[in-house]
Amino acid sequence: MRRIRVLLAVAAAFGLVAAACGSDQPSGQESPTSPVERPEFPAGSLAADIVERGEIVIGVKFDVPPFGFKNPQTDEVEGFDVDLGRHVADALGVEPSFVEAISDNRIPFLKDGTVDLILSTMTITTDRDAEIDFSEPYYIAHGRVLVREDSDITGIDDLAGRKVCTVTGSTYEGAVEEQAPEADTQLVDTYSECLSLIQTEAVEAVVTDDVILTGMIIQDPTLKLVGEEITVEPYGAGIKQGETELQDFVDEVIGAVKDDGRWADMFDTWIGQYTGESQDPPTMTLEEALELRPCEETC
Amino acid sequence: MSELWDVLVRHFPQFRSGFLVTLRLVAISFVVAMVAGTLVGALRAASSRWLRWIGAVYVEFFRNIPLLVLIFIAFLGLRGAGIRVGPWAAGTASLGLYTGAYVAEAIRSGVFSVGSGQVEAGLSLGLTYRGVLRRIVLPQAVRTVIPPLGNLTIAMIKNSAIVGASLLAIPDLLKEARVINNDTFQTTETFFWAAVGYLILTVSATVAVRFLERRLAVRR
Repeated sequence: MRRIRVLLAVAAAFGLVAAACGSDQPSGQESPTSPVERPEFPAGSLAADIVERGEIVIGVKFDVPPFGFKNPQTDEVEGFDVDLGRHVADALGVEPSFVEAISDNRIPFLKDGTVDLILSTMTITTDRDAEIDFSEPYYIAHGRVLVREDSDITGIDDLAGRKVCTVTGSTYEGAVEEQAPEADTQLVDTYSECLSLIQTEAVEAVVTDDVILTGMIIQDPTLKLVGEEITVEPYGAGIKQGETELQDFVDEVIGAVKDDGRWADMFDTWIGQYTGESQDPPTMTLEEALELRPCEETC
Repeated sequence: MSELWDVLVRHFPQFRSGFLVTLRLVAISFVVAMVAGTLVGALRAASSRWLRWIGAVYVEFFRNIPLLVLIFIAFLGLRGAGIRVGPWAAGTASLGLYTGAYVAEAIRSGVFSVGSGQVEAGLSLGLTYRGVLRRIVLPQAVRTVIPPLGNLTIAMIKNSAIVGASLLAIPDLLKEARVINNDTFQTTETFFWAAVGYLILTVSATVAVRFLERRLAVRR
């Protein structure tokens, strides 16, 4: 328990330092931000409404380090998705307000207006695109398999007959069925529940995005990743369908963040320092992402 | 209108599978609740103060803890302490013992509704206390107790949805409905059919209770 708190304190310290440096003007070594021009949004559009309210409500994960999680020391939510949300809010000139959006309810929240934007480790799929609009991909994750350190499982093929945990409403409900049809899938609400299940040996593996699994390993170093990457998961921001002004604006912000070095800073802060690798901002387009996940049901 | 039928027809195997899992969950929990409730109800009406106290502790514990908290304790708590309970064991035990506390109270009030004069008469006829319970008190108490037990069964059927919504990952009717909803995004239609599924169970329970009430009508 103490180790977890120490690790989270370290993460929090890094996060606070990064947050302090990231959004201010350059203080020597930080990259200059390229300001995005905020256009006059047409009256009646969601973007105009947001500007008028002075606030943008963003749905993020609260229990998925390093993309969206509540820091127990500060009781604030932080992470890669949260930072990106702050960049969007800054560009709009409004205050960000973060709400918990789990995989199951994020799209309904967007459709009914509970949130204005989703930044919730959400993979771009054609089925989802039929319900909402996506931004350009802002991160490419890959599906992996997480097991306990003493497990004999070496990859997705070893999951036959084993209990595997993933989350309702995620792309892995289908992915596990496709690639490991003999696996015994246990569906729960949130990834933290999957973590509890694997720690208490109620399941033998958790299957989801590598970054989410890395966040679990940070909390519990007795877990490990095994096997190859099983899927490609381009993350996109979710915007209510038809709100093209907001969608275009978010695309512009994402593009600016990728170009001016803020993406690299966010990556190093939240991911690079744990995995020890570096990565370039994704160049995949929305069309390419959609082609990866063609229509299955709703369209 | 066609969307409504469309969802049911295309996903019928999933709806049916979830319905059967809920039915199984409810059936097992019902047995647990009745057994536990009858035992504890008898404890509560016992002559020994210690037995009554044990019964009271059981009832207060299970009545005052929310079902979802019980499930977390039963599953994560016990597993964390090294006791290997499985999801079904944790789910049926939680739902059964929780409902059992209310069953115990219903049975206790049913037992007390039988006049104490009858108990004294039975004892004076030479029956043991246990014999009095078995031959005089419980048969009459059962008739009084059937309607509230019917209500508790309906409550238990509805509470089974909480078990399904929890991290036990039991694929009951509610869980299947959520999976279907995430695939189709047709929320209203999907949960309409889930509600129909639960209605089938609760209405069946109501019908069974009415039937039992008439069969065991108290003839004074």
